[in-house]
Amino acid sequence: MMKHVLSLLVALVILGLPAAAQERSGPLRIEITEGVIEPLPYAVPDFVADSAAAGDFGRNIARVVASDLSGTGLFREIPADAHIARVTSFSSPVQFADWKAINAQALITGGVSVDDAGKLVVRFRLYDVFAGQEMGQGLQLVGTTDGWRRIAHKVADQVYTRLTGESPYFDSRVVFVAETGPKDARQKRLAIMDYDGANVSYLTDAASIVLAPRFSPTGDRVLYTSYESGFPRIYVLDVASAGRRVLQSQDGTMSFAPRFAPDGRTVVYSLTSGGNTDLYAMDIGSGQSRRLTRAPSIETAPSFSPDGSRIVFESDRSGTPQLYIMPAGGGEAQRISFGQGRYGTPVWSPRGDLIAFTKQSKGRFHIGVMRTDGSEERLLTASFLDEGPTWSPNGRVIMFTRETQGAQGRASLYSVDITGRNLRQVPTETGASDPSWSPLQK
Amino acid sequence: MNTGQIISGAAHAGLITWALVGGLFEAEPLPFEVTEVTAISSEEYAALIAQQQSPEAVANVDTPEPPQEGEAPAVSSEADTAPSTEQPKVADTPPPDEVPDIPDPQPAPEAEVGDEPPVLQPPQEDVAVLLPDTSARPQVRPAPRVAPEPVAQPDPDVQIDEIERQETAPSDEADEAQPEEEATAPEEATTEIVTEAEEAEAAAPTASLRPKTRPARTQPAETDSAEDAPATDGSAVDDALAEALGQSDGPADTVAQGPPLTAGEKEAFRVAVGNCWSVDPGSPAAKIVVTVGFRLTQEGRVDGQKVQLLSSSDGDATAVEKAFASARRAILRCDIEKGGYNLPIEKYDRWRDIEMTFNPERMRIK
Repeated sequence: MMKHVLSLLVALVILGLPAAAQERSGPLRIEITEGVIEPLPYAVPDFVADSAAAGDFGRNIARVVASDLSGTGLFREIPADAHIARVTSFSSPVQFADWKAINAQALITGGVSVDDAGKLVVRFRLYDVFAGQEMGQGLQLVGTTDGWRRIAHKVADQVYTRLTGESPYFDSRVVFVAETGPKDARQKRLAIMDYDGANVSYLTDAASIVLAPRFSPTGDRVLYTSYESGFPRIYVLDVASAGRRVLQSQDGTMSFAPRFAPDGRTVVYSLTSGGNTDLYAMDIGSGQSRRLTRAPSIETAPSFSPDGSRIVFESDRSGTPQLYIMPAGGGEAQRISFGQGRYGTPVWSPRGDLIAFTKQSKGRFHIGVMRTDGSEERLLTASFLDEGPTWSPNGRVIMFTRETQGAQGRASLYSVDITGRNLRQVPTETGASDPSWSPLQK
Repeated sequence: MNTGQIISGAAHAGLITWALVGGLFEAEPLPFEVTEVTAISSEEYAALIAQQQSPEAVANVDTPEPPQEGEAPAVSSEADTAPSTEQPKVADTPPPDEVPDIPDPQPAPEAEVGDEPPVLQPPQEDVAVLLPDTSARPQVRPAPRVAPEPVAQPDPDVQIDEIERQETAPSDEADEAQPEEEATAPEEATTEIVTEAEEAEAAAPTASLRPKTRPARTQPAETDSAEDAPATDGSAVDDALAEALGQSDGPADTVAQGPPLTAGEKEAFRVAVGNCWSVDPGSPAAKIVVTVGFRLTQEGRVDGQKVQLLSSSDGDATAVEKAFASARRAILRCDIEKGGYNLPIEKYDRWRDIEMTFNPERMRIK
């Protein structure tokens, strides 16, 4: 009996030794599970103009960069009047202590010059102030003086990527329907602009109603629906030349809701024939179409997955509009939306992990996202009328149409982060609806 | 009429007769107070009131006579006779003490010297005592008085007085009897002004030595027989032992000193860093858990502004990089904004080296 007790004691001591030693030695271990959600403070002094010809480019470019970064909601600019250090030369060393003192965690410095050929030359550097070192290498961009905004967006894209690790979206454009006039006599034109509302130009006139423009994967073409012939027809428009042509369709049918496949050669769309609406795919080069769905219900608003293997679409085959996913070549569809209300206009995220949609529930419209299996549905907005989401090139931001109530109601473009934060109106001169975000420009 | 009735009738009759004749119904009158009143006429009343009026002053008052002088007591001019005193006897000189016998000095024993030199014992670190660098400097005793010459310190049981007196005792041989007096001494004085005692430097060490870690095992001396022994991987055994004891190479493996951080101190530290940790829930980096390591100085500052990535969960390399950058930024931001972390200095060994895990699971969008 005594032996058993001694053995037990010895075993306990041996087993307890490591734990006791661990308790008495080693580093202090702390786990942080709660952080804060706040924008990262940064400073971007005016880019230093090397010559008089650079003029105001230095300041203007810095302002566009700041607008891009602060517009994400992820960054907060420290105003210039709070700066302690002054950047007088692009090559001068950075006084990190001065930037630390104002809590600037990132610093962007730049220089602007105009070369002999009249090209605008912009150089910039990004610094991690707390680490006291440069993030990445300095970069030089050359472009026309007229394209200084694009150069500024490029600079902001580089900064965004280096700070977040995500792909950028500032150097992109949005095609949309510009709306003018009262609701009962509204004129609609296709228009294109920078993602931030600048540089608006019109692609069509107001002679006929146009709907639902969609960018090609390369951003050089736009699909849209026009009532030019009295019936809805699908047109493809070359952005550079504004030239357009109608896609082949049978007489007596209505085709609408087109969208490019990721390969850029196939278009999937809805076609109404004999009172039934189904999905079709067309090779844009040959004009050959094939039917993807065969159901007595209405199937519309198709959108490809980024890899082109699947299509998400809207169907009322269950009685109310819901979201379904089927293979790109057609086949059995799987319902993914099961919440209360009506779901429509699904759009697959460029990241491939989420699907944005419009939801109508209890008299209000929402823009929401869900995973591709229908789980983790989150509603990002709520208003009298929100619809038509489109993804930013990096899948981080959603732009959509918001229309106000009443006879004087006006359609506008808004953007929201996928976290549901940072809801912003995109400035447009006229009413705007049906946005489609282009890929990042080359 | 029988006998009973006769007796009863007679008894009743007697009783009635006694009640009537014997004074049963004659009660004594209740006692009451009687006041005698004298009827007087109005003239007599007026005369009576007149006698109670205030007395008038009387001018003619007899002065008492002074007492007569008596004979003064007789005073004697003869001085008192001095009391006779006896001279003290001279004591006989005691005989001198006997001188003790002093033994002859013995030669010192010769020290035993061996052939081997003595082995110098290394100082035992565990019992080292911090000795004062200098001996205690004599301090001037504080005293409220200043004398031109220093006064010897009186015996502790001597009374302090303004005048110094020698102790006396009554003696039979004295011509005059001296009153018995106790010895007194002047108040203690000093030759310089000392307003307050200056504390001498304490000779005792102010801090005790920290207990030392267990001394490393001495390496066994290499012997020829070791070459014959089978080769063993000693490092593997040492590593296994170190692992079992939770030890490994590196400065962080020393046994921490001082009490461990309390839960409150850890929580405060955690909250402080968390408030500096900016998380973007929509970023791919929000799916990465990173563990970073850094060292703090005793002032609570990040040593060398160096933060190392120790480990991370699986994920895209860019996302891991950005998650680490976010964690590092949080640590350095707190350090810079708050001028260092507020941690108890007495527990420095406990928080010198820190491994911090940033887990954004609760921050992710769902």
